[in-house]
Amino acid sequence: MAGFEPQIIAFCCNWCTYAAADLAGTSRVQYPANVRIVRVMCSGMVNPIYVLKAFEGGADGVLIAGCHLTDCHYIDGPVKCDAAVDKLRKMLHVLGLEDERLRREMISTSEGVVFARVIKEMVEQLKKSGPSPLKVKMEALA
Amino acid sequence: MEEIRIGVYICHCGLNIAGTVNVEDVAKYTATLPNVVVSRHYRYMCSDPGQDLIRSDIKHLALNRVVVASCSPRMHELTFRKTVESGGLNPYLYEHANIREQCSWVHDDRKLATNKAKDLVRAAVMRVHHHEPLVIREVPLNPNVLVIGGGIAGMQASLDIANGQKKVYLVEREPSIGGRMAQLDRTFPTLDCAECILTPKMSDVGHHPFIELLAYSEVEEVSGSIGDFKVKVRKKARYVDVDKCVGCGDCEEKCPRRTGSEYEMGLAERGMAYIPFPQAIPNVATIDRREERPCKAACKEACPIHMNVLGYASLIKEGRFEEAYEVIRRTNPLPAVCGRVCYAPCQEACNRGQFDEHIAIRELKRFAADQELKMGKGKAVPVERTKEEQVAIVGSGPAGLACAYDLVRQGYPVTVFESGPEAGGLLRWGIPEYRLPKKMLSNDISYIQDLGVEIKTNTPVKNLSEIFDQGYKAVFLGTGAGMSQRMGIPGENAPGVFHALDFLKQVNFGVEVDLGSKVAVIGGGNAAVDAARVARRLGVEDVTVVYRRGRDEMPAIPSEIEEMEHEGVKIEFLAAPVKVLSDNKGVTGIQCIRMEMGEPDASGRRRPVPVKGSEFTIEVDHVIMAIGQSVDKAVLPEGLAYTDWGTLSVDPVTLQTNIDGVFAGGDVVSGPADVIGAIATGKRAACSINAYLRGEELSIEEGGKVEKLSEEELARIKQRFASRKRVRAGKLEPEKRIDSFEEVEQTYSPDEAQEEAERCLASMVEGCFECGECKQVCEAKAIDFEQTDQIVELEVGSIIVATGYDQFDSSVIPQYGYKRYANVLTGLEFERLTCAAGPTEGKILLKDGRPPESVAIVHCVGSRDQNYHEYCSRVCCMYGLKYAHLIKELANAEVYEFYIDMRCFGEGYEEFYKRVSEEGVNFIRGKVAKITDEAVIDEEKGKLIVVSEDTLLGKMIRVPVDMVILCSALEARSDAENVARLFNLNRRADGFFLERHVKLDPVATPTDGIFIAGCCEAPRDIPDTVAQAEAAAAKVLSLISKGTVTLEAAISTVDEAICHGCGRCEEVCTFSAPKVISKDGNLVSSINEALCKGCGACAVVCPTGAITIRHFTPDEILAQVAALTEA
Repeated sequence: MAGFEPQIIAFCCNWCTYAAADLAGTSRVQYPANVRIVRVMCSGMVNPIYVLKAFEGGADGVLIAGCHLTDCHYIDGPVKCDAAVDKLRKMLHVLGLEDERLRREMISTSEGVVFARVIKEMVEQLKKSGPSPLKVKMEALA
Repeated sequence: MEEIRIGVYICHCGLNIAGTVNVEDVAKYTATLPNVVVSRHYRYMCSDPGQDLIRSDIKHLALNRVVVASCSPRMHELTFRKTVESGGLNPYLYEHANIREQCSWVHDDRKLATNKAKDLVRAAVMRVHHHEPLVIREVPLNPNVLVIGGGIAGMQASLDIANGQKKVYLVEREPSIGGRMAQLDRTFPTLDCAECILTPKMSDVGHHPFIELLAYSEVEEVSGSIGDFKVKVRKKARYVDVDKCVGCGDCEEKCPRRTGSEYEMGLAERGMAYIPFPQAIPNVATIDRREERPCKAACKEACPIHMNVLGYASLIKEGRFEEAYEVIRRTNPLPAVCGRVCYAPCQEACNRGQFDEHIAIRELKRFAADQELKMGKGKAVPVERTKEEQVAIVGSGPAGLACAYDLVRQGYPVTVFESGPEAGGLLRWGIPEYRLPKKMLSNDISYIQDLGVEIKTNTPVKNLSEIFDQGYKAVFLGTGAGMSQRMGIPGENAPGVFHALDFLKQVNFGVEVDLGSKVAVIGGGNAAVDAARVARRLGVEDVTVVYRRGRDEMPAIPSEIEEMEHEGVKIEFLAAPVKVLSDNKGVTGIQCIRMEMGEPDASGRRRPVPVKGSEFTIEVDHVIMAIGQSVDKAVLPEGLAYTDWGTLSVDPVTLQTNIDGVFAGGDVVSGPADVIGAIATGKRAACSINAYLRGEELSIEEGGKVEKLSEEELARIKQRFASRKRVRAGKLEPEKRIDSFEEVEQTYSPDEAQEEAERCLASMVEGCFECGECKQVCEAKAIDFEQTDQIVELEVGSIIVATGYDQFDSSVIPQYGYKRYANVLTGLEFERLTCAAGPTEGKILLKDGRPPESVAIVHCVGSRDQNYHEYCSRVCCMYGLKYAHLIKELANAEVYEFYIDMRCFGEGYEEFYKRVSEEGVNFIRGKVAKITDEAVIDEEKGKLIVVSEDTLLGKMIRVPVDMVILCSALEARSDAENVARLFNLNRRADGFFLERHVKLDPVATPTDGIFIAGCCEAPRDIPDTVAQAEAAAAKVLSLISKGTVTLEAAISTVDEAICHGCGRCEEVCTFSAPKVISKDGNLVSSINEALCKGCGACAVVCPTGAITIRHFTPDEILAQVAALTEA
């Protein structure tokens, strides 16, 4: 599996993590180019369908990241997000996707470095895990 | 459906994007995507020609969708929405791809970055296919403004807005506005006095018709959004009626508790009732009451004169004995007397008694009085006579003296007429020396005389009209109840039968009395006990007290009975004399009869009844009758009315007798009673006489209820405090007592007194413990302990947060010795030293009062230090220079500035640096390693040694100095996190609030309508703070000037055709935006657009997909995700 470059879709909340990713940029903190960010207004806005769509499309990992529990622009978005992620994990299990393919993080505006670190960690982890089994199956079917 | 025609624009951003991403390649690729009509790349898309490019393409190529790939949408999404809008399209038919912050700046591999950019642009193109035009709504903006923080930033912003005649609510957490700047002495580089330039502003804020100041208040809750914020503010109880308070400061002066003044940085003390500084706005007192005291101060309520027990106990605890005496003196005319002979109902009531043992309150009072006498300070300052009307007091017992004491202190000329040779009444001739030494009594009385009360001894008053003829306008009768009652039994008049008071009087006046060897004392009151104990001291071997009831019923003070028994006196309980036996030589015995306790009578007290045939005889030489006293009408003037009990008849409220202007109190009214009760009526009569003479309505404040602790309260106390027994005062050995009249009870030593006072539960809380001293001294009657916090609800359209900074706690750098070495100060502490109104009146002094000969100023303490704060605090270099100049000017001491770099960037700053350099200040470039008092050579002895590297010399140096000033960092407020949450602000990693854009939007925040100013955003000096405040005010005024706000268009919408009205959306929404309603007979969800914030939670839980968020629809996001994973 040498040279495998995992593909990651990151759903980032507009107020915290998306701004953290911007801060990583303005601070020129480097991280692997494997990630593609989808901006959402709130982590609680991430519909499980979006995540399933990402895996269906061949993503090897998905990150859902937003504000810390106490920082939410909409007061309790992270709580709603956590509830959705719990359900999502069960669905992923049914689909045969390992737990580490979905990562849930809380990264505040000032944590550009944390964002970069999380992406690095995910890429390393997913390199070990290999391509998404769903992608492998879909490719076999095709 | 209209054909989709997309224009795509890839920005180079100079080399910011183009340096890493092959923009040409991306543009070429994009052109191949579906419905892309044009794909261009350009150097700066945000520039005017860049935007013109888009507008021109919309026009000429009939574009109906636009994608720009450039920097973060947080930067320029709005710019390009406006561009497409001005080009004739709905602004929401636009999508932004972030290929700078999230691509070119974070990846250095050109190929990977280019591929990622292509993915991102493709996703944007696929997304924009689904965009729909959205309507932008405008709603009116509430022109009222809320400003948080009353420092220079908050004040300046408030004034700017209020001068524009817009209403400002200014909320300040502290009792006064002024903030940090009010603590500063002089300001760099002009050295003008901070207060002089600040206080006019404070005053303006206080009086401005458009500013409503909510000082001593905190914001509790903020809801709503720009244009329409609803804010709940807690107005903390000051326990002072601000409308009545005149700011005189009497309450603070008389407050018995002290704590470090926040304003003086702990270098001076303030009371629990206090005004933080003389120029405070609002200039009213605040009572620093932090928690309920654990006990209910029942002592105070139980005391007939409501003495401030907790006040003086607390002062004794702190070793402030003189002040304790003053507190006692304020209510009690006879401290040394009451400290000895009071029956102390306070102790009985003391709620510590429920826990372990009551506090020895009487002993503490006695200690304070004796200590004062011992120190020789118990002398009074004469009171100025402010009133004309002379008052005559007849009788110099406790009632008369108390009345005289209170009247003379109100400015009345007072004369006391005493029929006997010395003043004091029963206290002098009725109480034995071993209980109340005459010296102590005389001392208390001389204090009253020193105040200006004239006492005329050997002057009986028989005729009241003579008194009035002499010019007296009111009379108080306190002649007591000095006539011994008779039993009416056979033999009562035999020689050898004494009456207790006559007996005690003779002994007290030094008359020799021979009692033989066996004495019976009849009675159970204090006079009986006194007589028995005196008899023992006169050498009588066998003394028996005969009392008709049991021990529990004995009215004498229990401890006195106990001591009497220790001295060998026997008690015959339940026995009553029926006959005194005598022969021609005198008494031979006393015949008694046994009693038993009968049924309770009407008063509830069980009456003793004789047991038939139980007579017995006690052989004695003498009998002392102590069965009570009554009023001797013979000593009173004529014309007075009496009650059926033979006491003077008075009005129960005013204490006035049947004769106008004649008042009475003490035993002559109550019949024989206790000292403190007599004092209480004397004091009450003084109030009444004052009201009578002034022609005012009499108002006497009655005390509260004596309350016990509930079970839960007691349980809490047991949990919180350890049990500790009372400190017992020393007592004279019983063997030694009977040979002399030396005082039995000893006074506490200072250590004992402090130890005992520590047991007072009330004084165990921090802050005010509601002793009520302030209430007593406040002439405006402004103190109100019943006050509670008030919640004020405000409606405002915009908010400015200007909450300031905290000073870094330098003690966390242990090697600098702050708080360990007395002469290591922080900057703010030093500010107070040079301030003329400060604790040293502007003198730079060491802790021992000497002026320093050398001072070191250490820069960057906690700033520019990876271990604490990496940032520069921006003001330290300049105030360090200011200190150097002031030390040179005021103390002419040697100054050493230890700096890393000198940062003197503002107007006149560099010039000031040059000026101070020329004043002979030693500049040493190097970071201080440590400050120590460990001397290595003789010159260092007794000094603080600053150990540092001198980087210009390249070697370590040791500089011995007297004083060190640490230029401590400015840091974010410790509660900045809470404030951030309250106002939906973001914070940087250093804890300060984040502005919307560091360069281009420095006072706005990511939350619309909320602005920041001053040091809550970052450390800055006064000019910059003021400029920022003015900027924030301008921002707010421009919002108000426009008058409306544009609301978020990206909010929820319901497809009613598929909505079931299940209500899941209603359950999940934090803002109550969706409501299920009945429409045409169907249940459907309906969104209140004013409440919807567009968070999207409802759309996630909607089981049918009926709810979507505009601009974040599943179609849009799924298209984007699909496009991203396609590669």
